[in-house]
Order: sequence, then C-alpha cells, then structure tokens
Amino acid sequence: MSKGTFINVCRFGLLLVLLAIWEWGWDLRKHVSWIVPTLLDPYFISKPSLIWTRFLEMGCFANTRGDWLINIDGTFMKCVYAGKGSLWTHTLATLKNTFWGFLVGVGSGIGVGMLLGRSEMLAKIFEPYIVAFNSLPRVALVPLIIIMFGLGDVSKIVTALTLVFFVVFFNTFEGTRGVDRDHINAARFLGANAWQVTWTIYVPSALAWVFASLTPAVSFALIGVIVGEFIGSERGLGKVIIEAEATLQTADMMVALFVLMVIGVVLVLGVREVQRRLLRWQRHHAETF
Amino acid sequence: MAPVNDMDMLAHRPAAAQPAAAASVRQRIEVRDITKVFPLHGEDLVAVEKVSFSIREGEFVALLGPSGCGKSTILNMIAGLITITGGAAYLDGRSVAYGKVDPQVGYVFQRDTVFPWRTVRRNIGYGLELSRLAKAEREARVLEVIRQAGLKGFEDAYPLALSGGMRQRVALMRTLIMQPQILLMDEPFGALDTHTKLEMHKFLLEIWEHERQTVLFVTHDLSEALTLSDRIILLSARPGRLKEDFEVPFPRPRDAIRLRESREYSELFAKVWHSLGDEFAKTKAE
Repeated sequence: MSKGTFINVCRFGLLLVLLAIWEWGWDLRKHVSWIVPTLLDPYFISKPSLIWTRFLEMGCFANTRGDWLINIDGTFMKCVYAGKGSLWTHTLATLKNTFWGFLVGVGSGIGVGMLLGRSEMLAKIFEPYIVAFNSLPRVALVPLIIIMFGLGDVSKIVTALTLVFFVVFFNTFEGTRGVDRDHINAARFLGANAWQVTWTIYVPSALAWVFASLTPAVSFALIGVIVGEFIGSERGLGKVIIEAEATLQTADMMVALFVLMVIGVVLVLGVREVQRRLLRWQRHHAETF
Repeated sequence: MAPVNDMDMLAHRPAAAQPAAAASVRQRIEVRDITKVFPLHGEDLVAVEKVSFSIREGEFVALLGPSGCGKSTILNMIAGLITITGGAAYLDGRSVAYGKVDPQVGYVFQRDTVFPWRTVRRNIGYGLELSRLAKAEREARVLEVIRQAGLKGFEDAYPLALSGGMRQRVALMRTLIMQPQILLMDEPFGALDTHTKLEMHKFLLEIWEHERQTVLFVTHDLSEALTLSDRIILLSARPGRLKEDFEVPFPRPRDAIRLRESREYSELFAKVWHSLGDEFAKTKAE
C-alpha cells in the first residue's frame, strides 16, 4: 500500500468511526454510562440518520412519509418554491449574496489597494481612516447595516463587502508597494508608458499578493452573509440556522451547517484552481494546495 | 516623485555645463563635470565628483573602478534614473532629465530583471508588444532572436526554470530586439560564474561586432573590460573621479578566450591593474 492510499484509508476510517459514535454513541449509555458524555445526546447534536432524513425533506427529495418526490411530476419544483422556501431557495440566497459580496469586495479592494499603493500621498491621507474602520469588529456594524439597507439581500452583500474589502485591500496595497523598481525601470526603457507600466508590471506583480488574499476573502464573504442573516433576514442558510435554534431542531441546523461546509470547500477549491492557472509562473503553486 | 527640472539642477553650478558643440565626430554620450552627492545621516556623501568624458558613436567603453566608486551612479545619472547633483549629461547632444527615459537607449541591469510572470518568448517580445507591432512580424523577430541567443526549446519556459546565464541572455535580448543605438549596461554579468561570464562575453562580442551600438559598460572586472571594450575609463576610489583613460587596441573580431593568452593582453592588463591596484588599496585603507 502506498503512503497516499494509506492516508486515504485512514481518513475514511476516521470518518466512519466518528459517524458511528455520533449515531450509536448515545445508545451505549445504557450499558456503560460513565464513558458517554452528555454532549452526545441527540437532543444537542442530533444523529446522522436523522440529519439525512431532514436533508431529504428540506431539499424536497422526499416528503415527511419518506416517499421520493423526484419521481412525481411537478411536486419537486412545487416543493422547492413552497411556503417560506426550501433548502434550495435558502442556499441560493446565501450563495447569491456571497457571490456579490465577494465580487464587489474584491473589485473595490483591488482598485483602492492599487490606487493607494501607487500614491504615497493618498495612502498617507487615508491611512488613519482605514486603520480605524478596520479595527471596528464588523459584526457590530451589522445592526446598523440592516437599519440602513433593510432585511433584504443588500444588507448581506454590504456586510460581506466590509469584510472582504479590507483583506483584499491590504494585500493589494502591500503587493503594489512591493513591486520591483527595476522591473518598472526595465519596462520604461523598453518603451512602456504609465498606463502600460500599470497593466504589464503592477498588475501581474501584485497578482500573487491579491490571490493570497482571495482564499480568506471567500470565507469572509460567507461569514459576512451568514452573520447578516442571523441578525435579520427573510431567507438564507443563516436564517435556517437561527430558526432551528429557536425551535431546538438540531437536525435542521446540522443540515444547514453541512450545506455551508460544502459551499465553503467548493468556493475555496475554485479560487485555488483559478490561482493555480493564473500564477503558473510561480513554481511552488504547482505543489502546494 | 516629480521629475526634477533640468534648469534646477543646472542652477547649482551655473557655469558648469554647455551643450556639446557640433563636433566633427558624433558624440553619443557625454558627461561634463558630473557630480553626485547623497545625503547620508544628515551629512553629504560625495559619490561622484566632477567626472567628464565623452563616447563616440559606435564605441564600446568600459567604466572601471573599485566597488563603491560611483560607476553605477554615473550610469544611472546618464540613464535618467537618478537626479544629477551638479554638471550635466548629454545623449546625442540633448541634456538628460531625471525621470525621462530616452527610447533609443537600452539599459541592462545588474540585477535579474526578467519578468518572472512572462515566458521567455513574451519577455523578449515585451517591447515589440508595447510598440503594437503586428503579431506575425513580432513572433518572427522574437523567434529569430531566441535562436540567436541559443534559447531554442525554452520559448515557453518561465524564467524561474532557467539558469542565471540564460536569464541574463533573455534580459539582454529583450533590450537588443528594440535595436537601441545606445546601450547602458550596469555590471550585467556581475552575478554570473566565471565560465558563464566567458560565454556571455563571446555572445555579446558576436552581437556587438555586428551591430556596433554605442556602449557604456560598467564593471569592476578588469579582464571583462579588456575583453569587450575599445576604451577603459578608470575611476578612482570614492569619491569617484576620472583617473585614467586607456585605449584597448586589440583587433576585432575578438576571441574572448584566445585574447587572454596574448602578450598584448597581459601587458595592458598589468598596466591597468597597477593603476587600479592603487584604488583598491585606498578602498581598503578606509
């Protein structure tokens, strides 16, 4: 067995052990009560089988009696859009707001980062404001953002944006300031004007720094949206979680958490793939993950 | 950083500089009483003091001196990369202004300045790409240059995958493909090992003996200066002053390796070495 296979086998084995403890651990209490902590009570953490059932129901794959809805014409779509929304509409709302928060945050972060990175004067003028605003815990701003932008999508996008902007901004700023002077001079001797120096030297040099910030930026976008949904929203996975807390439906909460986990992993992997392609010239990107 | 007005610089020493009068031989590079003072811990450090020389069209001149004597400082003032404290520099009779880059000047840096995010092909084609040359013609010229530089097979390699010598060849060709009439070179082979350096000398001689650009080549390596140049301008230890001017009369085309075995080479080497040795001693004494 190669080292890689061994690692994979161990990973899978660990998963099975954890799932088994989660599913049947509480039942052991009847026999060996001293070894089973109270925290394993399904009342707190639910059970994999329960979570799976709720996942099928919330995702409109099955109804509460356990019948598959996928097979029946139209029922699936009807369920997806029914009432206060299904897992699908909540997930879509969270995804959409994360996407926009990420996009606008990254765009503005790169733009402002490059601008201030190139102008010593502007950097000096804005520095105290940026430092002050960035030291404010963003979560504390959410109620204000909701007052300003309402319970809809915009407030979630703005929350995500305030988190994403600073990560991307600081990295772009540093990256732009760290551009090799000799690269700039070399470009100018080869005939580059100011605009061409920006596009052919500043942008590619700073790109490695910008990308280093995109992985945390994706996570921050998701955090911003979820926190926004906690505090006040009409839909979204954050709302599912908060409602499950209020009604003590841990299985529902677990479903939302797993969907969030999958979204987080997929987004981070996606960013890394883009990064790997655009930074091919940096050898080490081929090896690290 | 705002470009410094040329008049401001001249204001320091009103009597110093007059543009070159129309001479019978065309002076491509000229410096007159050029001086550079750096502020250092509140004191003024004179790096270069009143250096004057001129370089004819098609001449290959080496600027030689111990390290810290201000060779690179002079080159950078001529290139417009740093301000001139006193005196003036002229390229083709036009005075040099800080921050203004002359498009007919090619500059090869001491440090590796190949763009790491561009392949060999796109590094060499960079200048042509900016000049909006038609893609087909650009590609053809780039490939020709790549062949000439012995980089065939590495067209699509990124610089990080290349050796130091190959990278410096890319940097050199990236400059030469723009066909600059004046070449300023700041110890371009300083970071290379002896063997690679010799290879680069052969390579540069071959190109230069064909193209005959006007070259100012900064180095602290006497054998390099003797191998490549027509003339060696020797600077004193800091503050850099003009010490001596040697003609290097070896016939061309030169063979970088054979040349070193000749008696004339040894004689001139000894002569310059003696003069240079005094300056090394001064640097050490400080």
